[in-house]
Amino acid sequence: MSKKVIVEYSRYPIAFIALFVQVFVIILLFMISSFAFSAPGTPGAELSQFAGMMTYGFVTSMFLGFTLWEIGFSLREEQVRGTLESLYLSPANKFSSLLSRIFAILLWTTVMCAAAVILVNLLVGGLPLQNVATGLFVLLFSISGFLGLGFLFAGVTIKLKETAQLLVNGLQFFFFIFSAQFFPFRVLPQPVRDYVSRWLPVSYAVDLFRTTLLGIPPELFPNDPLAEFGIVVAFGIASPILGYLAYLGFERQARRAGTLGEY
Amino acid sequence: MAAETVARGLGLARPGWQASLGVSWTVFVARLKIITRYKGAILLESFLPVFFAALPILLGTAVAGSEANAANNFFKNTSNAGQGTTQYRLYMLLGSSTFMVVSLMLWLIGYWVRREQETGTLESIYLAPAKKLHILIGVTSYSLVRSLTAFVVAMVIGSLLFGVNPLDGNLLAAIGYLILGIPALWGLSFIFGALIMRVKEANSVIQLVQWVVPFFMGVYFPVTMFPPLMRITAMAFPPTLMNDAMRSSLLNISSLYGPGYVVLGLMFMAAWITPLLGYEFFGIMERRIRRNEGVGQY
Repeated sequence: MSKKVIVEYSRYPIAFIALFVQVFVIILLFMISSFAFSAPGTPGAELSQFAGMMTYGFVTSMFLGFTLWEIGFSLREEQVRGTLESLYLSPANKFSSLLSRIFAILLWTTVMCAAAVILVNLLVGGLPLQNVATGLFVLLFSISGFLGLGFLFAGVTIKLKETAQLLVNGLQFFFFIFSAQFFPFRVLPQPVRDYVSRWLPVSYAVDLFRTTLLGIPPELFPNDPLAEFGIVVAFGIASPILGYLAYLGFERQARRAGTLGEY
Repeated sequence: MAAETVARGLGLARPGWQASLGVSWTVFVARLKIITRYKGAILLESFLPVFFAALPILLGTAVAGSEANAANNFFKNTSNAGQGTTQYRLYMLLGSSTFMVVSLMLWLIGYWVRREQETGTLESIYLAPAKKLHILIGVTSYSLVRSLTAFVVAMVIGSLLFGVNPLDGNLLAAIGYLILGIPALWGLSFIFGALIMRVKEANSVIQLVQWVVPFFMGVYFPVTMFPPLMRITAMAFPPTLMNDAMRSSLLNISSLYGPGYVVLGLMFMAAWITPLLGYEFFGIMERRIRRNEGVGQY
């Protein structure tokens, strides 16, 4: 299935280029926006610290965004093309079928994120980069956690059909803001931070990943980084299991109602 | 009798204006009927501009250290770029809501072409005795209704959330500019539809456009902050003109394009030229595709 997705992607080379350009555009959009708010003559070190916070947050947002988009969207495509039901009749493992949809895009996202980090590095004249191995370990568990959200969302797509596209767009912006992917958590109003952000595992993944790479204490648990690490690891393990169970629930519901192939 | 049959029958008759209007109307109603089945979509797209505006507002506060500093810095930096204002919240909200109109116009046309390709009905449309222009008018009109609804709802919700009053400025002029900007958007959606038909991978192109358009429209900052070549490109983009015109009238700031009559003249020019160019481009692309692989292939 992964091979099939890669072959399918290779038929649309412009899609690859579009994705690549998109990354640079997003980075430039937010960089210039932050320049519009910076005091003239802001010291370079301060700027690079902020750029680091934004860029590393952006890396998590890319992985989250593509995970959310890809699984659900590819299921939706199968629904529209009328091949989803046939796929369910084949003796293939359902979990593998779901997981394989994301493999190609994750590979490509990794390349794009590396390019984005290099671009910002050049733009601001050096990004802070510390504890790379720990950072990558955190990112690995974060991606695993995002996969769970992707599975859950794939189930929601079967249920909601067309509305799912906008829902995923809305969710992306929801996480942009409430998981503070492009700015520090301190700028969020206290009630939002305490009653929304702190309840989202994604927030801990974003916070821990970027503060690890920046070499500063995490914002959500400044006195207990280990607790935050524990949350991210638990998220990485529990989320795919729970997400897949939720997906199965939606799928069963659709099969019982006979709406699996319906759009 | 024979003459009448020859004149009106055998499938050779050209539809009159009423029949053409009927085609556009039917397409328009059909699209509306389909979307009323997905009420959540309409609700969600109205909230998107609010989220989109909240991002730079929070980002700005983080960069500047406080809201007061953010307003001051934004004023200083945008003054240097020729458009000084301390009302950065309204600046972002208006930019984001206008962007939503542009984005939805392009997005809905792109998805329409792609969906017809995927479901195998695009070729049937080409075989129907209706002009493509009338079908496109129907689809773009539907996109327009949907995007304007999102614009109004987003402006109301955003104003309440961010505590800004868009009615302080010249609302009538802003509405006038919005209406005047629509024909250009029609033209752009024809171009976009043709591109999707050619490229076929609608999803990625739409995702890209979703970020390229706000970038070149200057949703978060005046496009005069760009380097010269990029600035010229951005300023030649009709949505940038529309966004700037609406902003200058609602925020009482000077336009990047010059005095009001220049802006008005440019908007009329864009409203006249862009749809013609767009439809011509669509025609060229369509002919090329039909000559090669055919419109149904994806």
